[in-house]
Amino acid sequence: MSYQFDFSFLAERWPDFVSGAWLTVQLTLLSIAFGFAVGTVCALIRVYGSPLLRRPVGFYVELIRNTPLLVQIFIVYFGLSSLGLKLSAETSAVIALVVNMGAYTTEIMRAGIQSIQRTQLEAADCLGLTRLQTILHVVLLPAMERVYPALSSQFVLLMLASSITSQISAEELTAVANNVQSDTYRSFEVYIVVAVVYLALSVLYRFGFWAVGLVLFARKRKLRTAL
Amino acid sequence: MKRTMTALAFAVVAMIGVSHVAQADALDDIKKSGKIRIAIDLGVPPYGMTDAQMQPTGLDVETAQLLAKDLGLQFEHVPTTGASRIPALQTGKADLVISSLSYTAERAKVIDFSQGYAVLRTVIAATKTTGVHKLADLDGKTVGTVRGTTHDTQLTKEGPKGMKLVRYEDDATEGQAFLSGQVDIFSTAEMIVPQLDKKNPARQVEIKFVLDNFKLCIGVKKGEERLLAEVNKWILANIGNGKLNALNKKYFGSDLPDLIVKQQ
Repeated sequence: MSYQFDFSFLAERWPDFVSGAWLTVQLTLLSIAFGFAVGTVCALIRVYGSPLLRRPVGFYVELIRNTPLLVQIFIVYFGLSSLGLKLSAETSAVIALVVNMGAYTTEIMRAGIQSIQRTQLEAADCLGLTRLQTILHVVLLPAMERVYPALSSQFVLLMLASSITSQISAEELTAVANNVQSDTYRSFEVYIVVAVVYLALSVLYRFGFWAVGLVLFARKRKLRTAL
Repeated sequence: MKRTMTALAFAVVAMIGVSHVAQADALDDIKKSGKIRIAIDLGVPPYGMTDAQMQPTGLDVETAQLLAKDLGLQFEHVPTTGASRIPALQTGKADLVISSLSYTAERAKVIDFSQGYAVLRTVIAATKTTGVHKLADLDGKTVGTVRGTTHDTQLTKEGPKGMKLVRYEDDATEGQAFLSGQVDIFSTAEMIVPQLDKKNPARQVEIKFVLDNFKLCIGVKKGEERLLAEVNKWILANIGNGKLNALNKKYFGSDLPDLIVKQQ
């Protein structure tokens, strides 16, 4: 144990880390927003849709959940540009992450939707709620409340997984770490620094999701009980 | 207790024996055995590769064969990879490394380097129709590179301000990015370009200009000064008689630069 820690690169390179972390945040917030939308729609189709729609959605979900994210990213980045559609690394990364996030969200939201009892739907019917009102207020919101912990975990996992978009030259946090590491040969220290930054981001995200949960789920906020 | 002591004594004796072997001069050992073991990576054409009969060939292989012949020794090829070139020397698996090994200060701490026998050029390559001829022409362009390589460092420092550098993790990913059309201009080692052209001739890749020349040296185990001197003598002699230049011409179609020719 004669290793000499040397964090002096931080003095000069910290703006790189900040810009990398900022890109990571942008990539993941976009992917979470669109991925959640895709997943919610797909989940509704999987539960209530006609078999004609259910099959392709099921195929999409299984395809994505059973192939590596890195391969999906390469297919979007290299595959699409081979076909003539040239997208930047950041755009490709968001597309791949949305597609990936969508599949996982589908399964999580499906579990939530299926937990809504039939009696609830009948009650909504009796009260004269329209179909859209029923889906929004009686199905989706309570469903989301039930699976919210799983959902926010998945969001944080996506943030951590976004590190592999450095492979297609998106200059996010991990790519910055690789740059600095290859300049300074201080790999141990550099990766300690990014680990701390990722940890801080995770804590920040979890806090954010908790706050969003408070706003979204009025019932829980007021009664402080699980659904 | 007695048993442990005996075992310990044996171990000490064995260690003394081993260190004696290590102290013998490598050049003497090589001459005694009549063969020289040279580590070459055959995955780096045209430095090291295999021909149609699966025999080792390439600039490094021919250099090694020439060296062995001139020293009156039999050449024995030791297969290696980029990462295991230096360990091959350190652990005594090979007497020399002739495997597109460029000099770095970090490496010089653990092995000795001979004079340069060839060069590795880093270049800017692009599609035929792209009009770039010097660094300044890259202004406003997107240029691919491989993270952490010497050409990445050079472009980062010396490239024009308006150039967008896109960094990939390795040569393969960068090549894929070029072939699939993500980038039209990229920096790489000279030898990569013909391989890409072979994979997809439709992209019409060509070398635009040379970024830098790196001296390639023969690696010798640290402290084997007589062997090192012998190798250096051989290199200078073969630069003088033009044989190393002929090899460079054969594989790259160009003469050795002054960096090699004007060595003392």
